[in-house]
Amino acid sequence: MALSKDVYKEFEDVVGAENISDDPAIKDAYRSPDLTVILPGSTEEVAAVIKLCNKHKIPYKAQSTGWMLFAPTYDFIFMDLRRMNRIIEINEKNMYAVVEPYVISAELMAELFKRGMICNVKGSGSTCTALAMSGHGHMGMTTSTGDRNDLATEWVTDEGEIVRLGTLGASDEWFCGDGPGPSLRGVYRGGGVITRQATKVYHWPGPSEYPLEGLSPRYTLSKKPSEMNMMVRYFSFPSIGKLIEAELKIGESEIAFELMGFCPSMVSSNITTSNEEDFETLEQFTREVQGPGFMVIIVGNFDEDFAYKKKVLAQIIKETDGESLKAVEDPDAEATLLFQCTRVCASIRETFRAGGMFSSMMVQGQRYDNHVRWLEEAAVLKRELIEKGLVIADDGQQFGWGEEGGHLGHTEIFCRYNPYDEKSSKAVQEWLAKVGKRALDGCFAVPSMGILPVDVIGKRASNYHIWFGKLKEAFDPNGVGENTGFSYVGADTSGVHTSIYQKPEKASPKK
Amino acid sequence: MAIEDYRGDVEMCCRCSACKHIPLQMVKGVEHSYACPSIARYNFHAYSGGGRLLIAKEMLNSGFKYTDKLLDIVYNCQMCGGCDTSCKYAMDMEVLEPIYEFRIRCVETGHTNPALDKVINSLRKQGTMVPGAKGKRAAWAQGMGIKDATKEKVDVYYHVGCLTSYDKDYQKLARATAKILKKAGVDFGIGYENESCCGGRAFQMGYKDDFLKQAKKNMDMLKKAGVKTLVTGCADGYQAFKVLYDKYNLKGDLEVLHITEYLARLIKEGKLKLNKKVNLTVTYHDPCYLGRLGEPWIHWQGKKIPGYKFVFDPPKVYRRGTYGVYEPPREVLKSVPGVKLFEMDRIKEYAWCCGAGGGVNESNPEFAKWTATERIEEAESTGAEAIVTACPWCEKNFNQAIKESGSDLKVYDIVEIVEKAI
Ligand SMILES: Cc1cc2nc3c(=O)[nH]c(=O)nc-3n(C[C@H](O)[C@H](O)[C@H](O)COP(=O)(O)OP(=O)(O)OC[C@H]3O[C@@H](n4cnc5c(N)ncnc54)[C@H](O)[C@@H]3O)c2cc1C
Ligand code: SF4
Ligand code: SF4
Repeated sequence: MALSKDVYKEFEDVVGAENISDDPAIKDAYRSPDLTVILPGSTEEVAAVIKLCNKHKIPYKAQSTGWMLFAPTYDFIFMDLRRMNRIIEINEKNMYAVVEPYVISAELMAELFKRGMICNVKGSGSTCTALAMSGHGHMGMTTSTGDRNDLATEWVTDEGEIVRLGTLGASDEWFCGDGPGPSLRGVYRGGGVITRQATKVYHWPGPSEYPLEGLSPRYTLSKKPSEMNMMVRYFSFPSIGKLIEAELKIGESEIAFELMGFCPSMVSSNITTSNEEDFETLEQFTREVQGPGFMVIIVGNFDEDFAYKKKVLAQIIKETDGESLKAVEDPDAEATLLFQCTRVCASIRETFRAGGMFSSMMVQGQRYDNHVRWLEEAAVLKRELIEKGLVIADDGQQFGWGEEGGHLGHTEIFCRYNPYDEKSSKAVQEWLAKVGKRALDGCFAVPSMGILPVDVIGKRASNYHIWFGKLKEAFDPNGVGENTGFSYVGADTSGVHTSIYQKPEKASPKK
Repeated sequence: MAIEDYRGDVEMCCRCSACKHIPLQMVKGVEHSYACPSIARYNFHAYSGGGRLLIAKEMLNSGFKYTDKLLDIVYNCQMCGGCDTSCKYAMDMEVLEPIYEFRIRCVETGHTNPALDKVINSLRKQGTMVPGAKGKRAAWAQGMGIKDATKEKVDVYYHVGCLTSYDKDYQKLARATAKILKKAGVDFGIGYENESCCGGRAFQMGYKDDFLKQAKKNMDMLKKAGVKTLVTGCADGYQAFKVLYDKYNLKGDLEVLHITEYLARLIKEGKLKLNKKVNLTVTYHDPCYLGRLGEPWIHWQGKKIPGYKFVFDPPKVYRRGTYGVYEPPREVLKSVPGVKLFEMDRIKEYAWCCGAGGGVNESNPEFAKWTATERIEEAESTGAEAIVTACPWCEKNFNQAIKESGSDLKVYDIVEIVEKAI
């Protein structure tokens, strides 16, 4: 299917011939045969494209950095926002940064480091967008989560209207998402296109630039972490109960910069540079740990602060029978984990390197008790798949991290596998469905990865899908936008669940 | 190997886009964060390393569709390998090899680029990658008393390269090199009219057969002349002799050194003394084919172990850009009295390409210039007065970009700096 010449020309007039294509080669790279790909360069161009979509009733979809990774399914106009890659402002006084959708976290973090600040970086890694709107990340203990970081926002609605939200609605300031201008924070995740957004930034006590040396793939630091008042440790515990107790105590004492509940396999992936080395290291780690564990990063603002935090940590670990994994105490391993997990630059070592794919079940916003227990059940089911040789034989555990000093959290479990092996793929899909259903049936959590149909989830969650459908109709009368909103069940997980969004019924692409 | 042999690798691509950027912990800000000139200039995902793999995957599954756009994508790539290094920071998979093979498939099936055809015709007719080259290959050497290595035995064979031999503006590099080698008392010679193109750039352009022809011709000549050590000042030539000839089992035990490696050795052994002060602040540009792609070839043959892991028997050792030539040129520069070296944001294995690679200087001069201009600006941001490189193709491309941009930055090859210091 292709746009008629005349309609194509209308879109071309907005972005220029260089920034639109429906050539098969271009479409192959976006993994769909039905697209016209458009690269808008400004908010005005985004608005003009959407207005044309409304005029011709052509569905559209936008992409920031594309980490959702699933191929677009039905979409017709595909807006890749990668030309919108400017940092608009870093406001040190009011602690926010304003970015366009294709500023990646690596870029923003590097700029922030220089100013003694950091932002939330999504666990997917620092090639992912720095827009606040979505994503939980390793540093959540300090930087909270996506849905708690978005401030004023510039948003183009599904009708192509440019709306300035939060303080931006009443002034040129970006410091608040909820007013004195209009606040639609609960709504804009369901459609339209965010073209600029302010994200909160936080104090960074570390260096303005890491003293990196060496060559890829084995960079290291020229200074020991301890010389920069930084420390990385991995602790394992005799039981889940003890692990949770330790996490809560660490949260309450406010000593941790980062508490990343890695399984040993995630530590070994991070510090190794090939699959073979990874599996070997994992074997060693598995022998050494006594049970579930987490990685913790302590950063001191000054010597005494560093000494105090280490002392408190040691006391908590003693009280909870934790044991430190010796390999991580090695300054080289420590250094690697430090820059990798604060700059989040090797997530694909953890997820994709081993088998080519991973599929995940998670709950965002919560970690303790209920969720850990639910995903421990999932781990038992996962181990069956490991025994059958269907997924990568890692430690099979749930993992997660504390957020906002442990008041919130993230809990997740994934299977890594070869997506081209039919048996493996099928087994993983069945596993996800089982774990998702168990979450609902056991009232553990609302599964958020697009595993179950929207109405199945909606019925168990105040019929939110019906309410959201009404909102959608009001904001998108021509049904040109997408319906991802239906899957955003309270948790902020923008983007990862398109497998359950429905094709808008009203839109019928013009030929 | 053919593109089909890389199916497993292209299927591994997770679309993470790390290949667009330099390794992420090396990103120093919103400037200079890109590794791939092609995606930075053309923006559609198809132009990135990962995008190229996705196209390959689709076409391996459902047939090759050679549209004009596809060829635009294929030939607007400097074959610089930035994508390969960034991907392999985290992944175990080949990126540049399938990109090479895809281009080779295009050429084999007649889907060539007219500008590159012209260059290859010159290669076929005249044995040089400089179309319209006139006169003798070794005209630059007239009156210098350099030995003919095909007639008498020498310790070191100096392979001059096409651009340095034929382009009047760059013959100065050959003369400088000869002068330095003489000063150091090296017993060296050149091939005069028996020297022929290394074939490396033909390979980058996708003309594998032409490359192989050149490689065989060169190795025959070198073997006949009993050459044991070859030194060249051209990064492409270096990579061809050292890596590509080895890949195709043609290199034998020939020792291949880039001039910067050889000079560093001579300086260390005290055979070359740099006494004269050269008051200059410089920044060093790592040529892609000397740096990350100058890493030795690793001979490996194996099979994927059946099952869910992407592992092989025997284990596959990847070329990740770690073992390129990075230190010798820096050591040489640091040995020159008065020279101060400032580093750019993108260096060594994650250096930004000069723009000339892969035949882009011929097929799309505007893109080559755009890429060079990015580098010039990066060099200027260090505060250096000059950008120093170690390849004539880079120097030429930088000079062309500077001519049009009006920048004050000076451009030198490293041998020109050394020449000033002896
Ligand atoms: C290996 C891996 C690990 C991950 N780990 C985590 C994790 O730890 N924590 C976490 O939270 N997430 C994680 N994710 C998910 C990922 O962070 C989210 O998908 C992220 O929000 C994607 O952002 P994006 O801009 O790249 O997405 P895209 O793929 O560009 O878009 C995602 C969705 O948002 C819409 N969208 C994109 N940009 C805009 C815009 N500007 N305005 C309006 N709508 C837009 C798109 O239409 C799409 O529906 C992981 C993903 C992967 C692949
Ligand atoms: S080629 Fe490598 S770095 Fe690029 S998208 Fe694919 S997996 Fe990621
Ligand atoms: S080889 Fe260079 S130009 Fe080509 S895709 Fe890779 S990084 Fe980009």
